[in-house]
Amino acid sequence: MSKIQLQQISKQFGETQVLKAVNLDIDDGEFLTLVGPSGCGKSTLLRIIAGLEMQTSGNVLIGDSLMNTVRASNRDLAMVFQSYALYPHLTVRQNMATPLLLRDLTLWQRLPLLGRLASGHSSAMALINSLVDDTAATLKINHLLDRKPGQLSGGQRQRAALGRAMVRQPVAFLMDEPLSNLDAALRVHMRAELAELHQKLKTTFVYVTHDQAEALTMSDRMAVMMDGHILQLGPPAEVYGNPLDRRVAEFVGSPKINLFSAEVDSAGRVMSAGVPFRRRLSVLKNTAGLSVGLRPEHLQISTCAVEGESWPLRIVYKENLGSDFFLHGTINGSSDRVVVRAAPSMVSEISIGDDVFVQAEEGAAMAFGQDLRRLAFAEGQ
Amino acid sequence: MAAHGQNAGYWFVAPAILLMVLILIAPVFIAAGLSFTDYSLGNPGFDWVGTKNYAHMIGRSTYKKMLWATFIYVIVVVPVSIALGLGAAMLINSVNRFGNIYKTIYFLPVMAALLAMAIVWEFALHPTLGIVNKTLTDGCGTWVEGFFSWQWIPWSDEQPSWYERGCIRNFPLWFGDKTYTLWTVSFIGIWQAFGFNMVLYLAGLTSVPRELYHAASMDGATKAWDRFRLVTWPMLGPTTVFVVTITTIRSFQVFDTVEAITQGGPSKSTFVMMFAIYEKAIQHNLMGMGSAITVVFLAFVLILTLLQRYFVERKVHYS
Repeated sequence: MSKIQLQQISKQFGETQVLKAVNLDIDDGEFLTLVGPSGCGKSTLLRIIAGLEMQTSGNVLIGDSLMNTVRASNRDLAMVFQSYALYPHLTVRQNMATPLLLRDLTLWQRLPLLGRLASGHSSAMALINSLVDDTAATLKINHLLDRKPGQLSGGQRQRAALGRAMVRQPVAFLMDEPLSNLDAALRVHMRAELAELHQKLKTTFVYVTHDQAEALTMSDRMAVMMDGHILQLGPPAEVYGNPLDRRVAEFVGSPKINLFSAEVDSAGRVMSAGVPFRRRLSVLKNTAGLSVGLRPEHLQISTCAVEGESWPLRIVYKENLGSDFFLHGTINGSSDRVVVRAAPSMVSEISIGDDVFVQAEEGAAMAFGQDLRRLAFAEGQ
Repeated sequence: MAAHGQNAGYWFVAPAILLMVLILIAPVFIAAGLSFTDYSLGNPGFDWVGTKNYAHMIGRSTYKKMLWATFIYVIVVVPVSIALGLGAAMLINSVNRFGNIYKTIYFLPVMAALLAMAIVWEFALHPTLGIVNKTLTDGCGTWVEGFFSWQWIPWSDEQPSWYERGCIRNFPLWFGDKTYTLWTVSFIGIWQAFGFNMVLYLAGLTSVPRELYHAASMDGATKAWDRFRLVTWPMLGPTTVFVVTITTIRSFQVFDTVEAITQGGPSKSTFVMMFAIYEKAIQHNLMGMGSAITVVFLAFVLILTLLQRYFVERKVHYS
């Protein structure tokens, strides 16, 4: 019904190419997150969807109709801005009513004072007020309706901005880092609330963030962007568990994935720091700068070595997260940090400076070639 | 010791207070006092005349004309120069190139001394030699006269138009005809003030968050007027308050044009307050009368400032 399609979108600011032929299909009712480090072009892409920015080339389609020349105000999208962009001179109620007033009232009806005399004004205003009240009830901000944005806290402004976007029932919500101005606790709370809201509204959400945790927790699908490309698009579990690019693997997941430089022999056997992996690469291409990635939860700590399977690790730092510990250490005195997740019960006897051993969980290692693309391991041994 | 300690603060602020009283407050009170006398500079003494000076201002036609001329000047110059300043600022703000050139050109009248520019205007608007009337006269008998006769507009009356009448007799004495002079002086006032207002508005426009415009267009503000009403005008509120105050005070203070060109005439049609003070107190050495006008002048400015504080400022600062 209202799929959003992006075809070969490119954007140039002077000499810099911000977006490089991006293709993206956003399904109706989907929560899609554009995630990437700052400067990757994700906000620009969102603004191109919104119509606030014009693409240099490529097409934007909303519900099968071409939107390239349609102005932002006619695309029937709503946007939540990082700074909330509430009108500071209007109360929350007036802020939320603005999109309805601008769309549903004629220019004549919107005139100050005189507009009240226009026919149909009072019935239109009654409808608008009831819509605002309904939306406010959904967001639990009824008691704030008569305040001005300057009198609200960050979280309340956030809700008011959401309310202004929701009140019109647009085709899709575009959100540009809406949570990044909130404090950490509120951000986690709003994450859950936004996901719930999406469940309830069943409208398309396009959400831009630099925080991979937001992308992982909320979205149906996430698109990891870097340098103007979408590197990988898929459900969060897939992007996390099966990254197709070393940059995706590094960006998604906290703490970061551990990368080991590795060598490969002619049979395709991969070896890193003297320890061979059990599987072999299926294709021996791009193996010069081979690296192997292992997430912290895929490494196991033990106090005794298993010959040919474990690396010696010198603990340099213990990070206590309450439910888990992250042990930071180095292998054979190299400067690269290795992070291992461990249960608190296992860590109690380990202190900084100790030498322990780590072992990779079977089948968890991911190999990346010199071109940063994922290399497949062959099935079986 | 304790008493000393408590009073120490007063000693520290005393020099500042003393200077403030001497330089800023005392002159106002002295003028207020003098306004109840018939003091002339050089006279050994003076007599108290009560409110006679103020009664003159209400009773005598000269002073009624003075109040009227000042009032008209302010009423015309303030809104027009602000509207033009805002318009020019928004246009300059919207262009990508040549913005600085426009800024410089529009700011020229502000930089130039009004006294000097008044001479240029006097020359340009000279009834026979001036470029304005010469150009108007050159248009007589040509298509220009035909156009400005308005006869080509259907249902227009048969009366000769303003332009035709100018051609038949002569074009106005811009500074000699009392129906025109105040408007001509107001025009010069607008010409001079709008560049300044433009610069103030340009500064105000840079502080309007761009995201608000984006929010407005997402909310469906298709027309420029909607964006102006929803974002630009409210966000420029603080600037507007400042611009209105400054322009009003400066318009009340108009003096150079009148002194250089009209000397308050013809028949007191441009007899504005500043010029009246100058004429009475300095030229005629009637310090009492001059002081009375000064007090009225200060009262106007004070009332305006208070009005602005109580009615407008509360509505334009949002946080």
